[in-house]
Amino acid sequence: MSRILVYCGFRQSPGLALPTVGVNSAPVQVASFDSLGLLGSEVEWPFDPQRMQKSAVEFHEVVHKVFKQTAVIPFRLLSVFDDPQAFTAFAAENCQRFLQDLNRLKDVVQMECVIYPKPSETPVDRSSGKAYLEQKAVALRSSEASAQATQDALAHLSREVRVREGKNGTRIFVLVDRGRENDFRQAVNAVPIPSQLSRRVSGPWPAAEFLSEQVKMPQTDGVAGAK
Amino acid sequence: MGHGLRTLLSLMPNDFETLETLGGEDEVSLLEILDHVLNSGVVIHGSLVISLAGVDLVYLGLNVVLTSVETALSNLQIEEKRRQK
Repeated sequence: MSRILVYCGFRQSPGLALPTVGVNSAPVQVASFDSLGLLGSEVEWPFDPQRMQKSAVEFHEVVHKVFKQTAVIPFRLLSVFDDPQAFTAFAAENCQRFLQDLNRLKDVVQMECVIYPKPSETPVDRSSGKAYLEQKAVALRSSEASAQATQDALAHLSREVRVREGKNGTRIFVLVDRGRENDFRQAVNAVPIPSQLSRRVSGPWPAAEFLSEQVKMPQTDGVAGAK
Repeated sequence: MGHGLRTLLSLMPNDFETLETLGGEDEVSLLEILDHVLNSGVVIHGSLVISLAGVDLVYLGLNVVLTSVETALSNLQIEEKRRQK
């Protein structure tokens, strides 16, 4: 059984060098509607579990080849349509929403900074419930203060910021102008961080965190076969 | 748990190596790639429906792996700190 695996959407322009080979060496196809391009491949479905990790890297490479040249809207791995008609119909139905987001995000990239506690640094205080909660509260305040200091240090670079708290720390997503990725890294590294915390910086990534809700969860009402 | 999930989980602990992206100027870890391709971007509406079809079960499995990727990323960060010491 085969399906159409979708990689990303982008605004088409003559100078773009598009990838020709995708996951599992499948040829990459372009579905076009207006100036929107959507990249996809006809793949054997479901994926061979033995090469799932390799498929993930190949998927990433397709998206990043386009992203290095222009803004993209990435799809999550395993977004598939039953057939090319459903794929094309999806492009037509969501074209304007996708193009609006691509226009808004055309000159920016997403950088990320995760601030997280060093688990082994401070032994957990189990002497009482109160002591345990107080220790957790101190750690949380410290993490929040560091996240705020990082955001303040990035204010001159940030077009937009999103912060997500998770059980593994605070994740800060920042939209910065394309080409200013090193400025971002330097600004983050200049912020002192308490000894009990650590941080990790990554990027540039496509601005997936900043997509509009309609694009993140697009309409597929008229599309048979979207999976 | 889908076969895909089992495969990913079994591969993760030994795959903390750093990959170079196309062009080579940026380095990203395999786990960061997995985190982004599975956890960021457009979700096609119907893909979250769980059904008895094999396809959807695989997708479900890879949704479940997202939590594990978060945990694995945290472990990676700890491991890197240990190496630096």
